[in-house]
Amino acid sequence: MYSYLALASLLMLLACGDRDPQPIENNTLFLRNKGADMPIWVKGKRQSKKIILYVHGGPGDCAMCYRYYLKGLETETMVAYWDQRVAGASSGKVDESTLRYAQFSEDLGYVVQLLKTQYPDAEVYLLAHSFGVELSWQYLTTGTNQQKIAGLIVVNGMFSFANWLAAVRDWALREAKQQKKTEAETYLLANPVTPENAATIEWEPIYRWMYKLGGNPVSLYKDGKYLLNYSFNSPNTALAQFTHAKAYTYYGNVESRRFEKGPLLKDIRIPVGLFWGVKDGVVPVEVGDATKKVLTNASVTEARFSESWHEPFITETEKFNRAVLDFVQ
Amino acid sequence: MKIIIILLGLFVLGVLSVQAQSLRVGYYGETVTHYGLKVAAEWSLKSYIKERNQARKEFLVGPALATYRHPQNHIGLVLFPELTYRRTSRRGGIFEVGLAPAYAYYFLEGATYTPDESGGLRRVRWAGQDAFLPTVFVGVGKDLSLRRQVPVAWFTRLNVMQQRPYNTSTLIRFSLEAGINFSLKKR
Repeated sequence: MYSYLALASLLMLLACGDRDPQPIENNTLFLRNKGADMPIWVKGKRQSKKIILYVHGGPGDCAMCYRYYLKGLETETMVAYWDQRVAGASSGKVDESTLRYAQFSEDLGYVVQLLKTQYPDAEVYLLAHSFGVELSWQYLTTGTNQQKIAGLIVVNGMFSFANWLAAVRDWALREAKQQKKTEAETYLLANPVTPENAATIEWEPIYRWMYKLGGNPVSLYKDGKYLLNYSFNSPNTALAQFTHAKAYTYYGNVESRRFEKGPLLKDIRIPVGLFWGVKDGVVPVEVGDATKKVLTNASVTEARFSESWHEPFITETEKFNRAVLDFVQ
Repeated sequence: MKIIIILLGLFVLGVLSVQAQSLRVGYYGETVTHYGLKVAAEWSLKSYIKERNQARKEFLVGPALATYRHPQNHIGLVLFPELTYRRTSRRGGIFEVGLAPAYAYYFLEGATYTPDESGGLRRVRWAGQDAFLPTVFVGVGKDLSLRRQVPVAWFTRLNVMQQRPYNTSTLIRFSLEAGINFSLKKR
Protein backbone atom coordinates (compact mmCIF):
# COMPACT_ATOMS: atom_id res chain seq x y z
CA MET A 1 0.00 0.00 0.00
CA TYR A 2 2.75 2.40 1.02
CA SER A 3 4.75 1.67 -2.12
CA TYR A 4 1.69 2.50 -4.28
CA LEU A 5 1.28 5.77 -2.39
CA ALA A 6 4.96 6.58 -2.86
CA LEU A 7 4.73 5.82 -6.59
CA ALA A 8 1.61 7.96 -6.93
CA SER A 9 3.35 10.83 -5.08
CA LEU A 10 6.33 10.56 -7.39
CA LEU A 11 4.14 10.67 -10.48
CA MET A 12 2.24 13.68 -9.12
CA LEU A 13 5.53 15.44 -8.45
CA LEU A 14 6.71 14.81 -11.99
CA ALA A 15 3.40 16.06 -13.33
CA CYS A 16 3.75 19.40 -11.53
CA GLY A 17 5.77 21.01 -14.32
CA ASP A 18 3.91 23.09 -16.86
CA ARG A 19 3.53 21.54 -20.27
CA ASP A 20 5.70 23.02 -23.00
CA PRO A 21 3.87 24.65 -25.89
CA GLN A 22 5.21 21.86 -28.16
CA PRO A 23 8.35 23.66 -29.32
CA ILE A 24 9.32 22.84 -32.85
CA GLU A 25 12.88 23.94 -32.22
CA ASN A 26 14.51 22.62 -29.05
CA ASN A 27 18.24 23.13 -29.23
CA THR A 28 20.91 23.51 -26.55
CA LEU A 29 24.09 25.34 -27.50
CA PHE A 30 27.04 26.51 -25.46
CA LEU A 31 29.37 29.44 -26.01
CA ARG A 32 32.82 28.98 -24.49
CA ASN A 33 34.61 32.31 -24.12
CA LYS A 34 37.27 33.61 -21.72
CA GLY A 35 36.79 30.80 -19.20
CA ALA A 36 32.98 30.74 -19.22
CA ASP A 37 30.70 28.03 -20.65
CA MET A 38 27.43 29.82 -21.31
CA PRO A 39 24.32 27.85 -22.31
CA ILE A 40 21.88 29.10 -24.92
CA TRP A 41 18.61 27.23 -25.16
CA VAL A 42 16.70 27.90 -28.37
CA LYS A 43 13.03 26.96 -28.28
CA GLY A 44 9.96 27.69 -30.31
CA LYS A 45 8.68 28.05 -33.82
CA ARG A 46 11.54 27.80 -36.30
CA GLN A 47 9.37 28.71 -39.31
CA SER A 48 8.86 32.18 -37.86
CA LYS A 49 12.45 33.07 -38.86
CA LYS A 50 12.58 35.31 -35.81
CA ILE A 51 14.63 34.78 -32.67
CA ILE A 52 13.94 36.74 -29.52
CA LEU A 53 17.20 36.65 -27.57
CA TYR A 54 16.38 37.15 -23.91
CA VAL A 55 19.13 39.20 -22.24
CA HIS A 56 18.52 38.63 -18.56
CA GLY A 57 19.07 41.03 -15.72
CA GLY A 58 21.05 40.86 -12.52
CA PRO A 59 23.89 40.84 -13.15
CA GLY A 60 24.01 37.18 -12.18
CA ASP A 61 20.35 36.36 -12.76
CA CYS A 62 19.26 33.60 -15.15
CA ALA A 63 17.37 33.15 -18.39
CA MET A 64 15.65 29.78 -18.20
CA CYS A 65 14.17 30.57 -14.79
CA TYR A 66 11.94 33.09 -16.60
CA ARG A 67 10.89 30.67 -19.33
CA TYR A 68 7.96 29.80 -17.08
CA TYR A 69 6.60 33.27 -17.97
CA LEU A 70 8.04 33.81 -21.45
CA LYS A 71 7.24 30.51 -23.11
CA GLY A 72 3.99 31.94 -24.45
CA LEU A 73 6.25 33.62 -27.02
CA GLU A 74 7.42 30.24 -28.32
CA THR A 75 4.15 29.51 -30.10
CA GLU A 76 4.86 32.26 -32.64
CA THR A 77 8.65 32.82 -32.59
CA MET A 78 11.87 31.22 -31.40
CA VAL A 79 13.19 32.36 -28.05
CA ALA A 80 16.89 32.05 -27.20
CA TYR A 81 17.50 31.89 -23.46
CA TRP A 82 21.14 32.81 -22.81
CA ASP A 83 22.75 32.59 -19.40
CA GLN A 84 25.49 35.21 -19.20
CA ARG A 85 28.89 34.45 -17.65
CA VAL A 86 28.68 33.78 -13.90
CA ALA A 87 24.89 33.63 -14.07
CA GLY A 88 22.19 30.97 -14.15
CA ALA A 89 23.55 27.65 -15.35
CA SER A 90 26.78 29.08 -16.77
CA SER A 91 29.86 27.28 -15.53
CA GLY A 92 33.58 27.18 -16.12
CA LYS A 93 36.59 28.69 -14.43
CA VAL A 94 36.07 32.40 -14.71
CA ASP A 95 38.31 35.26 -13.65
CA GLU A 96 36.35 37.89 -11.73
CA SER A 97 38.11 40.61 -13.72
CA THR A 98 36.09 39.54 -16.80
CA LEU A 99 32.85 40.72 -15.19
CA ARG A 100 32.88 44.02 -17.06
CA TYR A 101 30.47 45.58 -19.55
CA ALA A 102 32.99 45.22 -22.38
CA GLN A 103 33.34 41.48 -21.79
CA PHE A 104 29.59 40.92 -21.48
CA SER A 105 29.17 42.84 -24.72
CA GLU A 106 31.78 40.66 -26.45
CA ASP A 107 29.94 37.56 -25.20
CA LEU A 108 26.64 38.91 -26.50
CA GLY A 109 28.29 39.52 -29.87
CA TYR A 110 29.37 35.88 -30.07
CA VAL A 111 25.93 34.68 -28.99
CA VAL A 112 24.35 36.69 -31.82
CA GLN A 113 26.98 35.33 -34.22
CA LEU A 114 26.30 31.78 -33.08
CA LEU A 115 22.55 32.20 -33.52
CA LYS A 116 23.04 33.67 -36.99
CA THR A 117 25.29 30.75 -37.92
CA GLN A 118 22.80 28.19 -36.65
CA TYR A 119 19.74 29.98 -38.04
CA PRO A 120 21.06 31.95 -41.04
CA ASP A 121 17.64 33.05 -42.27
CA ALA A 122 16.39 34.32 -38.89
CA GLU A 123 16.26 37.89 -37.59
CA VAL A 124 17.50 38.42 -34.05
CA TYR A 125 15.66 40.70 -31.63
CA LEU A 126 16.93 41.51 -28.14
CA LEU A 127 14.49 41.32 -25.23
CA ALA A 128 16.53 42.95 -22.49
CA HIS A 129 15.56 43.27 -18.85
CA SER A 130 17.17 45.50 -16.20
CA PHE A 131 20.94 44.83 -16.26
CA GLY A 132 20.37 43.19 -19.64
CA VAL A 133 19.37 46.66 -20.91
CA GLU A 134 22.72 48.11 -19.81
CA LEU A 135 24.44 45.22 -21.56
CA SER A 136 22.37 45.72 -24.71
CA TRP A 137 23.16 49.44 -24.88
CA GLN A 138 26.83 48.61 -24.40
CA TYR A 139 26.62 46.17 -27.32
CA LEU A 140 24.49 48.27 -29.64
CA THR A 141 26.58 51.43 -29.20
CA THR A 142 29.77 49.54 -30.10
CA GLY A 143 30.97 49.50 -33.70
CA THR A 144 28.39 48.32 -36.21
CA ASN A 145 26.73 45.81 -33.89
CA GLN A 146 23.27 47.29 -34.25
CA GLN A 147 23.24 46.21 -37.90
CA LYS A 148 23.02 42.59 -36.71
CA ILE A 149 19.92 43.22 -34.62
CA ALA A 150 16.38 43.68 -35.93
CA GLY A 151 15.07 45.45 -32.83
CA LEU A 152 15.49 45.96 -29.10
CA ILE A 153 12.86 45.70 -26.39
CA VAL A 154 13.90 47.54 -23.24
CA VAL A 155 12.20 46.27 -20.08
CA ASN A 156 12.71 48.44 -17.00
CA GLY A 157 16.39 49.14 -17.60
CA MET A 158 18.68 52.16 -17.60
CA PHE A 159 21.06 53.93 -19.99
CA SER A 160 22.81 56.15 -17.42
CA PHE A 161 23.72 55.52 -13.79
CA ALA A 162 23.31 59.19 -12.84
CA ASN A 163 19.90 59.45 -14.50
CA TRP A 164 18.83 56.17 -12.90
CA LEU A 165 19.90 57.00 -9.35
CA ALA A 166 18.25 60.42 -9.51
CA ALA A 167 15.03 58.74 -10.67
CA VAL A 168 15.16 56.16 -7.88
CA ARG A 169 15.72 58.87 -5.29
CA ASP A 170 12.84 60.95 -6.69
CA TRP A 171 10.59 57.89 -6.70
CA ALA A 172 11.48 57.04 -3.10
CA LEU A 173 11.04 60.64 -1.94
CA ARG A 174 7.62 60.84 -3.54
CA GLU A 175 6.58 57.59 -1.88
CA ALA A 176 8.04 58.65 1.47
CA LYS A 177 5.91 61.80 1.38
CA GLN A 178 2.79 59.90 0.34
CA GLN A 179 3.30 57.20 2.96
CA LYS A 180 4.33 59.79 5.60
CA LYS A 181 7.63 58.02 6.31
CA THR A 182 9.52 60.90 7.85
CA GLU A 183 12.80 59.06 8.43
CA ALA A 184 13.01 58.12 4.76
CA GLU A 185 11.93 61.59 3.67
CA THR A 186 14.56 63.27 5.87
CA TYR A 187 17.33 61.01 4.54
CA LEU A 188 16.34 61.41 0.91
CA LEU A 189 15.97 65.21 1.19
CA ALA A 190 19.44 65.38 2.72
CA ASN A 191 20.94 63.33 -0.11
CA PRO A 192 19.99 64.78 -3.47
CA VAL A 193 21.47 63.07 -6.53
CA THR A 194 23.08 65.26 -9.15
CA PRO A 195 25.12 64.44 -12.27
CA GLU A 196 28.14 65.73 -10.35
CA ASN A 197 27.79 63.53 -7.26
CA ALA A 198 26.24 60.39 -8.81
CA ALA A 199 29.59 58.62 -9.09
CA THR A 200 30.50 59.19 -5.45
CA ILE A 201 27.26 59.38 -3.47
CA GLU A 202 26.30 56.36 -1.32
CA TRP A 203 23.66 54.81 -3.55
CA GLU A 204 22.83 51.76 -1.44
CA PRO A 205 20.87 53.59 1.33
CA ILE A 206 18.76 55.30 -1.35
CA TYR A 207 18.16 51.91 -3.00
CA ARG A 208 17.23 50.31 0.32
CA TRP A 209 14.68 53.05 1.09
CA MET A 210 13.17 52.53 -2.34
CA TYR A 211 12.70 48.82 -1.56
CA LYS A 212 11.31 49.51 1.91
CA LEU A 213 8.78 51.90 0.37
CA GLY A 214 7.47 49.17 -1.95
CA GLY A 215 9.66 49.64 -5.01
CA ASN A 216 9.31 46.02 -6.04
CA PRO A 217 7.28 43.73 -3.76
CA VAL A 218 7.16 40.89 -6.32
CA SER A 219 8.97 37.74 -5.24
CA LEU A 220 9.24 34.63 -7.38
CA TYR A 221 9.72 32.56 -4.26
CA LYS A 222 6.17 33.18 -3.08
CA ASP A 223 4.82 31.30 -6.10
CA GLY A 224 4.77 27.61 -5.19
CA LYS A 225 4.01 26.47 -8.73
CA TYR A 226 6.95 28.47 -10.07
CA LEU A 227 9.24 26.97 -7.42
CA LEU A 228 8.18 23.43 -8.28
CA ASN A 229 8.71 24.16 -11.94
CA TYR A 230 12.16 25.63 -11.21
CA SER A 231 13.13 22.67 -9.05
CA PHE A 232 12.09 19.92 -11.41
CA ASN A 233 11.93 21.41 -14.91
CA SER A 234 14.88 23.79 -14.96
CA PRO A 235 18.28 22.71 -16.30
CA ASN A 236 19.94 24.73 -13.52
CA THR A 237 21.84 23.02 -10.74
CA ALA A 238 19.87 23.65 -7.54
CA LEU A 239 21.94 26.25 -5.69
CA ALA A 240 24.04 27.55 -8.60
CA GLN A 241 21.85 30.62 -8.93
CA PHE A 242 22.72 31.76 -5.42
CA THR A 243 26.52 31.68 -5.76
CA HIS A 244 26.85 34.46 -8.28
CA ALA A 245 26.03 37.69 -6.46
CA LYS A 246 29.29 37.98 -4.53
CA ALA A 247 31.27 38.09 -7.77
CA TYR A 248 29.69 41.40 -8.72
CA THR A 249 31.12 43.66 -6.03
CA TYR A 250 33.27 45.57 -8.51
CA TYR A 251 30.27 46.01 -10.78
CA GLY A 252 28.25 47.55 -7.95
CA ASN A 253 31.01 49.73 -6.56
CA VAL A 254 32.85 50.88 -9.68
CA GLU A 255 31.74 49.58 -13.09
CA SER A 256 28.04 50.45 -12.99
CA ARG A 257 28.72 53.92 -11.59
CA ARG A 258 30.64 54.87 -14.74
CA PHE A 259 27.84 53.72 -16.99
CA GLU A 260 26.66 56.54 -19.25
CA LYS A 261 25.31 55.83 -22.73
CA GLY A 262 22.98 58.83 -23.07
CA PRO A 263 25.03 60.75 -25.67
CA LEU A 264 25.46 57.59 -27.77
CA LEU A 265 21.79 56.65 -28.02
CA LYS A 266 21.16 59.24 -30.74
CA ASP A 267 23.09 56.85 -33.02
CA ILE A 268 20.65 54.00 -32.43
CA ARG A 269 18.62 53.50 -35.60
CA ILE A 270 16.95 50.15 -35.03
CA PRO A 271 13.37 49.93 -33.70
CA VAL A 272 13.22 50.16 -29.91
CA GLY A 273 10.36 49.10 -27.64
CA LEU A 274 10.22 50.74 -24.22
CA PHE A 275 8.26 48.31 -22.02
CA TRP A 276 7.74 49.44 -18.45
CA GLY A 277 6.08 48.25 -15.27
CA VAL A 278 4.86 51.64 -14.12
CA LYS A 279 4.84 50.90 -10.37
CA ASP A 280 8.54 50.01 -10.44
CA GLY A 281 10.87 51.75 -8.02
CA VAL A 282 13.97 49.76 -9.06
CA VAL A 283 14.09 51.42 -12.48
CA PRO A 284 11.24 53.97 -12.41
CA VAL A 285 9.17 54.75 -15.47
CA GLU A 286 10.79 58.21 -15.61
CA VAL A 287 13.94 56.42 -16.82
CA GLY A 288 11.85 55.15 -19.73
CA ASP A 289 10.71 58.70 -20.50
CA ALA A 290 14.33 59.89 -20.43
CA THR A 291 15.38 57.01 -22.69
CA LYS A 292 12.78 58.04 -25.25
CA LYS A 293 14.12 61.61 -25.27
CA VAL A 294 17.67 60.54 -26.14
CA LEU A 295 16.60 58.03 -28.81
CA THR A 296 16.21 60.81 -31.35
CA ASN A 297 16.85 58.69 -34.45
CA ALA A 298 15.12 55.43 -33.54
CA SER A 299 11.55 54.37 -34.08
CA VAL A 300 10.23 53.99 -30.53
CA THR A 301 7.22 51.93 -29.44
CA GLU A 302 5.98 52.20 -25.87
CA ALA A 303 4.10 49.66 -23.77
CA ARG A 304 3.11 50.42 -20.20
CA PHE A 305 2.07 47.80 -17.65
CA SER A 306 0.00 49.57 -15.05
CA GLU A 307 -0.19 46.66 -12.59
CA SER A 308 3.51 45.80 -12.68
CA TRP A 309 6.73 46.64 -10.93
CA HIS A 310 10.20 45.59 -12.10
CA GLU A 311 9.24 42.41 -13.98
CA PRO A 312 6.06 43.02 -15.99
CA PHE A 313 6.44 39.57 -17.59
CA ILE A 314 5.74 38.07 -14.15
CA THR A 315 2.82 40.23 -13.14
CA GLU A 316 1.10 40.81 -16.51
CA THR A 317 2.39 37.82 -18.43
CA GLU A 318 -0.19 37.55 -21.22
CA LYS A 319 -0.28 41.27 -21.93
CA PHE A 320 3.51 41.41 -21.90
CA ASN A 321 3.96 38.48 -24.29
CA ARG A 322 1.34 39.86 -26.64
CA ALA A 323 3.14 43.22 -26.72
CA VAL A 324 6.47 41.49 -27.47
CA LEU A 325 4.93 39.50 -30.32
CA ASP A 326 3.29 42.62 -31.74
CA PHE A 327 6.67 44.38 -31.64
CA VAL A 328 8.58 41.67 -33.50
CA GLN A 329 5.81 41.16 -36.05
CA MET B 1 26.42 7.20 -22.75
CA LYS B 2 27.89 3.92 -23.97
CA ILE B 3 31.27 4.90 -22.56
CA ILE B 4 29.72 5.61 -19.17
CA ILE B 5 27.95 2.22 -19.09
CA ILE B 6 31.21 0.48 -20.07
CA LEU B 7 33.07 2.33 -17.30
CA LEU B 8 30.47 1.36 -14.72
CA GLY B 9 30.60 -2.25 -15.92
CA LEU B 10 34.40 -2.34 -15.71
CA PHE B 11 34.16 -0.89 -12.23
CA VAL B 12 31.80 -3.67 -11.08
CA LEU B 13 33.99 -6.37 -12.66
CA GLY B 14 37.08 -4.87 -11.01
CA VAL B 15 35.40 -4.89 -7.64
CA LEU B 16 34.28 -8.51 -7.98
CA SER B 17 37.75 -9.58 -9.08
CA VAL B 18 39.49 -8.16 -6.03
CA GLN B 19 36.89 -9.55 -3.65
CA ALA B 20 35.45 -6.54 -1.96
CA GLN B 21 33.39 -7.01 1.19
CA SER B 22 30.34 -5.51 -0.43
CA LEU B 23 29.07 -3.88 -3.57
CA ARG B 24 26.67 -0.96 -3.48
CA VAL B 25 24.42 0.06 -6.36
CA GLY B 26 21.93 2.86 -6.21
CA TYR B 27 20.16 5.88 -7.58
CA TYR B 28 22.25 9.03 -7.45
CA GLY B 29 20.84 12.43 -8.24
CA GLU B 30 20.03 15.95 -7.18
CA THR B 31 16.32 15.39 -7.86
CA VAL B 32 14.19 12.90 -9.74
CA THR B 33 14.68 14.97 -12.88
CA HIS B 34 18.45 15.43 -12.36
CA TYR B 35 19.14 11.72 -12.15
CA GLY B 36 22.01 9.27 -12.10
CA LEU B 37 23.51 5.99 -10.95
CA LYS B 38 26.28 5.16 -8.50
CA VAL B 39 28.21 1.96 -7.87
CA ALA B 40 30.66 1.46 -5.04
CA ALA B 41 32.80 -1.21 -3.43
CA GLU B 42 33.67 -1.43 0.22
CA TRP B 43 36.49 -3.02 2.19
CA SER B 44 36.47 -3.12 5.95
CA LEU B 45 39.40 -1.40 7.66
CA LYS B 46 38.25 -2.21 11.14
CA SER B 47 35.16 -3.91 12.50
CA TYR B 48 34.06 -4.77 16.00
CA ILE B 49 30.88 -5.63 17.91
CA LYS B 50 30.05 -3.73 21.04
CA GLU B 51 29.32 -6.06 23.95
CA ARG B 52 26.62 -3.94 25.55
CA ASN B 53 24.13 -3.73 22.65
CA GLN B 54 25.62 -6.10 20.07
CA ALA B 55 25.91 -3.25 17.56
CA ARG B 56 28.53 -3.68 14.83
CA LYS B 57 30.80 -0.70 14.22
CA GLU B 58 32.89 -0.56 11.08
CA PHE B 59 35.32 1.71 9.31
CA LEU B 60 35.15 1.12 5.56
CA VAL B 61 37.07 2.37 2.56
CA GLY B 62 36.39 1.96 -1.10
CA PRO B 63 35.99 3.63 -4.46
CA ALA B 64 32.68 4.71 -5.90
CA LEU B 65 31.81 5.89 -9.36
CA ALA B 66 28.73 7.95 -10.10
CA THR B 67 27.26 9.27 -13.28
CA TYR B 68 24.40 11.71 -13.48
CA ARG B 69 22.57 13.88 -15.97
CA HIS B 70 21.23 17.40 -15.66
CA PRO B 71 19.18 17.45 -18.87
CA GLN B 72 20.04 20.32 -21.24
CA ASN B 73 22.98 21.23 -19.02
CA HIS B 74 25.63 18.57 -18.46
CA ILE B 75 26.44 14.90 -17.87
CA GLY B 76 28.79 14.26 -14.99
CA LEU B 77 31.14 11.52 -13.85
CA VAL B 78 32.33 11.51 -10.25
CA LEU B 79 34.98 9.31 -8.69
CA PHE B 80 34.67 9.08 -4.90
CA PRO B 81 37.35 7.56 -2.68
CA GLU B 82 35.05 7.04 0.31
CA LEU B 83 35.84 6.65 3.99
CA THR B 84 32.77 5.52 5.94
CA TYR B 85 31.92 4.91 9.57
CA ARG B 86 28.91 2.58 9.81
CA ARG B 87 26.96 1.40 12.82
CA THR B 88 24.63 -1.57 12.35
CA SER B 89 22.32 -2.29 15.26
CA ARG B 90 21.43 -5.77 16.52
CA ARG B 91 18.18 -5.56 14.55
CA GLY B 92 19.89 -4.39 11.37
CA GLY B 93 19.31 -0.63 11.50
CA ILE B 94 22.15 1.20 9.77
CA PHE B 95 23.51 4.66 10.44
CA GLU B 96 26.56 5.90 8.59
CA VAL B 97 28.63 9.03 8.07
CA GLY B 98 31.67 9.61 5.93
CA LEU B 99 33.68 11.76 3.64
CA ALA B 100 35.15 11.56 0.17
CA PRO B 101 37.65 13.85 -1.57
CA ALA B 102 35.94 13.28 -4.91
CA TYR B 103 36.97 14.27 -8.41
CA ALA B 104 34.37 15.19 -11.00
CA TYR B 105 34.39 15.63 -14.73
CA TYR B 106 31.36 16.82 -16.64
CA PHE B 107 30.50 17.10 -20.32
CA LEU B 108 28.33 19.93 -21.57
CA GLU B 109 25.12 18.57 -23.03
CA GLY B 110 24.96 20.65 -26.16
CA ALA B 111 27.04 21.67 -29.16
CA THR B 112 29.77 23.96 -27.86
CA TYR B 113 31.43 26.72 -29.86
CA THR B 114 34.36 28.97 -29.10
CA PRO B 115 35.84 31.97 -30.93
CA ASP B 116 38.75 31.21 -33.23
CA GLU B 117 41.62 33.41 -34.39
CA SER B 118 39.75 34.56 -37.49
CA GLY B 119 36.86 35.98 -35.48
CA GLY B 120 34.61 33.05 -36.35
CA LEU B 121 33.35 30.24 -34.14
CA ARG B 122 34.65 26.68 -34.11
CA ARG B 123 33.04 23.59 -32.59
CA VAL B 124 34.61 22.13 -29.44
CA ARG B 125 34.03 18.36 -29.31
CA TRP B 126 33.50 16.72 -25.91
CA ALA B 127 33.56 20.09 -24.17
CA GLY B 128 33.62 19.81 -20.40
CA GLN B 129 35.38 20.77 -17.21
CA ASP B 130 36.85 19.02 -14.20
CA ALA B 131 36.48 19.94 -10.55
CA PHE B 132 37.45 18.87 -7.07
CA LEU B 133 34.32 17.77 -5.21
CA PRO B 134 34.98 17.25 -1.49
CA THR B 135 31.96 15.43 -0.07
CA VAL B 136 30.50 14.60 3.32
CA PHE B 137 27.56 12.27 3.70
CA VAL B 138 25.14 10.83 6.18
CA GLY B 139 22.91 7.84 5.60
CA VAL B 140 20.50 5.32 7.09
CA GLY B 141 19.38 1.87 6.03
CA LYS B 142 18.55 -1.65 7.06
CA ASP B 143 20.71 -4.76 6.92
CA LEU B 144 18.34 -7.58 5.95
CA SER B 145 20.91 -10.31 6.53
CA LEU B 146 20.52 -10.15 10.30
CA ARG B 147 16.85 -11.05 10.60
CA ARG B 148 15.84 -12.43 7.21
CA GLN B 149 18.99 -14.23 6.10
CA VAL B 150 19.08 -12.13 2.90
CA PRO B 151 22.64 -10.92 2.17
CA VAL B 152 21.61 -7.40 1.21
CA ALA B 153 20.93 -4.09 2.88
CA TRP B 154 18.96 -1.13 1.61
CA PHE B 155 20.26 2.34 2.25
CA THR B 156 19.63 5.98 1.56
CA ARG B 157 22.20 8.70 1.83
CA LEU B 158 22.47 12.48 1.59
CA ASN B 159 25.68 13.87 0.09
CA VAL B 160 26.75 17.47 0.58
CA MET B 161 29.49 18.51 -1.82
CA GLN B 162 31.48 21.58 -2.67
CA GLN B 163 32.44 21.97 -6.33
CA ARG B 164 35.77 23.75 -6.63
CA PRO B 165 36.20 25.78 -8.73
CA TYR B 166 32.86 26.91 -10.03
CA ASN B 167 32.78 30.13 -12.04
CA THR B 168 34.61 32.66 -9.85
CA SER B 169 34.20 30.73 -6.59
CA THR B 170 32.67 27.43 -5.43
CA LEU B 171 29.27 25.75 -5.49
CA ILE B 172 27.57 23.78 -2.74
CA ARG B 173 25.73 20.82 -4.23
CA PHE B 174 23.47 18.13 -2.82
CA SER B 175 22.69 14.67 -4.04
CA LEU B 176 20.57 11.82 -2.81
CA GLU B 177 21.43 8.17 -3.00
CA ALA B 178 19.15 5.18 -2.49
CA GLY B 179 19.90 1.60 -3.31
CA ILE B 180 21.05 -1.85 -2.31
CA ASN B 181 24.25 -2.98 -0.65
CA PHE B 182 25.12 -6.55 -1.64
CA SER B 183 27.30 -8.44 0.81
CA LEU B 184 29.98 -10.40 -1.08
CA LYS B 185 31.62 -12.02 1.94
CA LYS B 186 30.32 -13.64 5.09
CA ARG B 187 31.12 -11.66 8.20
